[in-house]
Amino acid sequence: MSNTYTKYYYPYISPFDPCKPIIRKSYPTPPQMYLGFQPPNLPQFEIKEALYRGTLWPALYSKYDKKDYRGEYDE
Amino acid sequence: MSSPKQMPPEYYQQLEEIQMVDFAIVELNLYLDTHPDDYEAIKQFNSLTYESRKLKKNFEKQFGPLMHFGRSYSQYPWQWDDQPWPWQV
Repeated sequence: MSNTYTKYYYPYISPFDPCKPIIRKSYPTPPQMYLGFQPPNLPQFEIKEALYRGTLWPALYSKYDKKDYRGEYDE
Repeated sequence: MSSPKQMPPEYYQQLEEIQMVDFAIVELNLYLDTHPDDYEAIKQFNSLTYESRKLKKNFEKQFGPLMHFGRSYSQYPWQWDDQPWPWQV
């Protein structure tokens, strides 16, 4: 399973659906889902960097960026 | 009535530094909850805790108490209710 930050799926679009169809939907898949039990002595960010990255370990860093996170698009 | 005193840049620099160290402490604390025998992490945790207390002591000497109920000292007159409050910082 490739560990990506976001995964997508394509919901069924009914011909009777009155609203604009959402072609693709997405859900976040942060690294901790693929890590299992965290091994000791993982490399760490600089302390200042860690504050802005939201985690002490690069292996667990996840962007969660808004732009790609929802990933929905219509036609 | 002019607006109350503006905080000097060091106020914000020191606060950010305290935040940095405290964030790393929280991360290590949570990590150590599940890895109690990780000696390196405990060493780092203790050194960061020492660093954090030093930074806070230095900050409080200049800008007044960070915490209340006996976790910080106050000069005269009572400083705890001084501005800026946390949401005003």
